[in-house]
Amino acid sequence: MKLSDETRRLLDVSMVINKTSDTDRNEIEELIGRIPENRVRLYKYLISNPLGDLPRYDIHIRIQHLLTFITFLTLAFTGLPIAFVEHFWAIPVNSVLGGVNVTRIIHRALASVMIFAMVYHIVTITLGSFIKIRQGRFEVSRSMIPTMKDARDFKADMLHFAGKLEQRPEMDKFMYKQKLHYFAAAFGNTVMIVSGSSFLFPEFWASILPVSIASHFQEMMRISHPHEALLALLVIAFWHWYNVHLAPGRFPMQWTFLTGKITREHQMEEHFVEYLRCLVEIPRERIHLRDMLEAMEQGEKAQNSTDSGG
Amino acid sequence: MRNSTTLSCTILSGLLLSNLVVAAVPETGLRPPAVFEDDMGCLLCHKFPKMGRITEDGESRSYYIMPHVFANTVHRNIPCTDCHSYIKQLPHKEVKEGVRCDSECHTVKNPATGNNFSHQTVFKKYRQSSHYRPKLAKGHDQDKPYCVTCHTNPIYNPEEEVVPTDVTDRCMVCHEKREFVDNWYKHTSRRINKVKRSSKEIVELCTSCHGDDKLVKRHLQAAKDEGRELGRKYEFAASSYKESFHGKVTGYGFTKAANCLDCHADAANYYLNVHDLRPSRDEASPVHEKNRLKTCKRCHKHADDNYASIDPHPTSEKRDNPFRYYAELTYAWVGDVVFVALIALSAFETRGRLRDGVFWRLRNGSSWSRRRGSRIQPEKNG
Repeated sequence: MKLSDETRRLLDVSMVINKTSDTDRNEIEELIGRIPENRVRLYKYLISNPLGDLPRYDIHIRIQHLLTFITFLTLAFTGLPIAFVEHFWAIPVNSVLGGVNVTRIIHRALASVMIFAMVYHIVTITLGSFIKIRQGRFEVSRSMIPTMKDARDFKADMLHFAGKLEQRPEMDKFMYKQKLHYFAAAFGNTVMIVSGSSFLFPEFWASILPVSIASHFQEMMRISHPHEALLALLVIAFWHWYNVHLAPGRFPMQWTFLTGKITREHQMEEHFVEYLRCLVEIPRERIHLRDMLEAMEQGEKAQNSTDSGG
Repeated sequence: MRNSTTLSCTILSGLLLSNLVVAAVPETGLRPPAVFEDDMGCLLCHKFPKMGRITEDGESRSYYIMPHVFANTVHRNIPCTDCHSYIKQLPHKEVKEGVRCDSECHTVKNPATGNNFSHQTVFKKYRQSSHYRPKLAKGHDQDKPYCVTCHTNPIYNPEEEVVPTDVTDRCMVCHEKREFVDNWYKHTSRRINKVKRSSKEIVELCTSCHGDDKLVKRHLQAAKDEGRELGRKYEFAASSYKESFHGKVTGYGFTKAANCLDCHADAANYYLNVHDLRPSRDEASPVHEKNRLKTCKRCHKHADDNYASIDPHPTSEKRDNPFRYYAELTYAWVGDVVFVALIALSAFETRGRLRDGVFWRLRNGSSWSRRRGSRIQPEKNG
């Protein structure tokens, strides 16, 4: 296949960073050349382990995700019965937890774990990025930083789902959806922490804010805490769980959050640029691709002869 | 004239009826004897359960005194005529005003001063407050609380039913009389241990009027007609408190959060000053702008002027707090849009993916369904 200019540039950058030898370069170019223009043709012959084939998340990210999702759900489970204490469903939940006074303590304890997860994440990505920059391996397009490419990818993806484009765009390690989700979660977390702390330490927040907004701030926080929580639950329930559990092809679940690996077909379909980087960085992946291409070529040949014979 | 005849008839028939009932029920000893002093012989008539009348307005009034109940109230030791001082002869004449709580007792002395005991100190405070009304109030003043609206003269309920003799034996050394010592102990121990209503009860009490929409509207209208000023939060006092942090936490049964009186009554002598509640525009009110910080600091030690500016009665009403109103509205809109948009996006993506050839497969996880056409067996893990 012929890569788009943008993808070609990203691939070249990756090969420069990895100091890829000429032999390897030729091999990669040859393989890419053999990938059909319509990648969907290759998907049919994919060899893929549902638990994951290619590295995606390191152990820190997986721990952070586990901490975040466990605290998120338990915070919602303890927070909602506090906010809606008089509702019929909140009464048994509070009773099970030992009364609303106990629920409050559990909620705060869990909140501190969630804050720890957030701090842990910020430290990890800051240090990680810093190290990568020093090694000269940092690529903006491979990070969570939103770029114009995301807007173009979104448009192309919508056109694909509408049936106007044959295949999905060549997206990077983090696609538009993931970036949106990441920043929504970061924003939501910040709002929850700030508003939660404004309940616990109202005097502190009043003392550092100008008098003209001290009251508005407190009111805003008072509204924001339950509203933001419900909004986050909505996003998690209707979007994140759809994307990782319910979407056709992802059902019943992706194992990436535990194994840290992504399946080959998922990588090729949704993160094609990152797949090309895998070809550069993981020589074994080239063997897999070669096998798949050969299988595809043979399969299509056999199919053609059957079709023409029939 | 006709009225008084009707009245007499009703009383007489009531008396006759109750006599019949009492005569029909033999003395079984179920009803405990009255133990309070009835020097004037009031119970001669008022002991009959049917003692009462139907007023000209059609209301039924009972004049029955349950001796066994009254004998357990806080006023049990006071002769009837100390409070019902207008009764000079028996049978007495029609009662016009009834008991006023600021009257002076003639029999009970204040042990501290030796003067006649009375509630006048409290009543003077009450007279200054915005709650004051005469006993027989007219017009909108009728909605205001008189003493008995809050003080329901509850049954005397000592903190400890059984007096600990290891404590009172010491008192007995000088005071000699067991009954006196026991009563004194019960009186004091209750006032030390359990002297006021709980926060929740205080909120319920205040809300019984300030949360009554009809009453509030009546007063808003009256103030408007008379050109009087009412507090900015008068309309939302009860509902906004329940929405506030103090209200929510008090609702959970948490006792440390402020209830109505914690802010609106001067803390200097709480028990006296709860009778002297004033509007926030009155400089003597603890919630007046000048006094607000001091009031906040009673609980929030680190509060500053900024803190005191925080609205303790927040509402989302547009006319009260447009900022909060629009903030709520924005959140509601964002919530609705996100909800619809995410479901729509997911449905759209599902449709596209299904057309692409992937669908829900339980066994092979996220595998592409078209692989069924492949001649290559899936690679084993590792």
